[in-house]
Amino acid sequence: MKERFTCQRGSPRIVLFQCQYCLYSDADQKWVDTQLTKHIKLIKTPCTGRISPLFVLNAIQAGADGVVICGCMPEKCHFKEGNLGARRQLDEFVRLLVYLGMEPERVHFSWIDLTERGRIQQELEDFENTIAGLGPAKQLVTRSNASITL
Amino acid sequence: MNDLILAIRQEASRILRESIVKTVIGFDAGTLPLKAQPTFITSQTEVEKLVLNGFCQNNLAVYLTLRPKGEPLGIICRGCESRAIRALIIEQQYSRDKLYLIGVPCTGILDWRKIEALAGENVVAASEEGDQVIISTASGAPAPDASLAGNCEHRFQRSQMLHDSCARCLHPNPIAVDILLGEPVPEGNPVPVPHLPHEFEAKSPIERFAYFARESERCIRCYACREACPMCYCTQCFVDHTTPRWAESTVSPAGVQSWHIMRAFHQTGRCVSCGACERACPMDIKMTYLTEKLNDDMRKLYGFEAGMSEEQPPLATFSLYDRDRFSDKER
Repeated sequence: MKERFTCQRGSPRIVLFQCQYCLYSDADQKWVDTQLTKHIKLIKTPCTGRISPLFVLNAIQAGADGVVICGCMPEKCHFKEGNLGARRQLDEFVRLLVYLGMEPERVHFSWIDLTERGRIQQELEDFENTIAGLGPAKQLVTRSNASITL
Repeated sequence: MNDLILAIRQEASRILRESIVKTVIGFDAGTLPLKAQPTFITSQTEVEKLVLNGFCQNNLAVYLTLRPKGEPLGIICRGCESRAIRALIIEQQYSRDKLYLIGVPCTGILDWRKIEALAGENVVAASEEGDQVIISTASGAPAPDASLAGNCEHRFQRSQMLHDSCARCLHPNPIAVDILLGEPVPEGNPVPVPHLPHEFEAKSPIERFAYFARESERCIRCYACREACPMCYCTQCFVDHTTPRWAESTVSPAGVQSWHIMRAFHQTGRCVSCGACERACPMDIKMTYLTEKLNDDMRKLYGFEAGMSEEQPPLATFSLYDRDRFSDKER
């Protein structure tokens, strides 16, 4: 998360947390790895269970306008149940952020299934439109060195 | 001297004499009015020091994770302390058979800030009498309440002076203790107070964030809240991590906000609502509105209250049948 986005300020900045097993098709994974637009920052994790609430908070504090978390369907986790733990934790964490005044739309979760080829492209496009509608994040964006991360 | 304190001293003396425990943790009167202090009693001759009143601010369960493991320990516990101890035992922090819990029904902890504000100047002596608190001030300087002006001794209603967390307390009676001294007090809210998370949620998102930012910006990062909390016992706290540095450890807005959010989030389903964090805070920062919200969610979603059952805290486990936010798009 240390490199700088080369996009202009003004376009929505998005952080994508992706479980490395959730995109079953090679084409999709390759698209995410290489073809993402510059204002989407990809962070691959071994499993959604690795995504600590601190990661999400850090992304938001550092100036991300939106966070997408995508992982495997329940019962299809590579590590059997990592995604179930993540579901409980992250869901509750986002409720806390919403309680503190963040817009609930800024954090988006998606389970990607085996058959859903091309879903990730659609999800990201929809999410970008949602965030563009909301405008830049104001709440919780407090990192003094926000530009380092994004 | 009331009967309850005598009973506590007798019981402490007995368990020390019969070598059931080596140390009894309780409160002594301390040196300052309004502030009793925790004390460690190791011999029968010292039991005369033990007191228990509304000025006992600390949560004694915090010492469970600080004492040598496996030492037979006697603790004088009120409702919140007994719940914290039980929650710690569930988290394998102490073994129950090494503990001797002396349960005492709690009538609520008095908020010294409220008392000092009403007294209008430094308090030189304080005591309790039934449902009244008696305060002596040095000069009897004019108090905010005109009827009190010029009077060195003030009497306040106890229920008005309760700490906010104690006014909201749902379980003042200790649970799962070895011996219960005194008469149990009625369960449930002693003082009718508005539901804190509901009150906060009624505000607009911008107001909510402004309130949070205003409260947290006073933080001086002394971590008194962490030290006072019985459930904060990590050997290395996330704010002390240096590689990677997840949270700024300065008093920058990013640092204090991330500290307050993550501190509260780590207490999800573990907080026993004792309010020790707020009482310990030197800057008088309100924090319980965060933990109360998380506790409220845990109660609604999983029917869980910390320390009230033998189950693991909800975020330590998971289930296939949880609310599926990932696919339902439900908020």
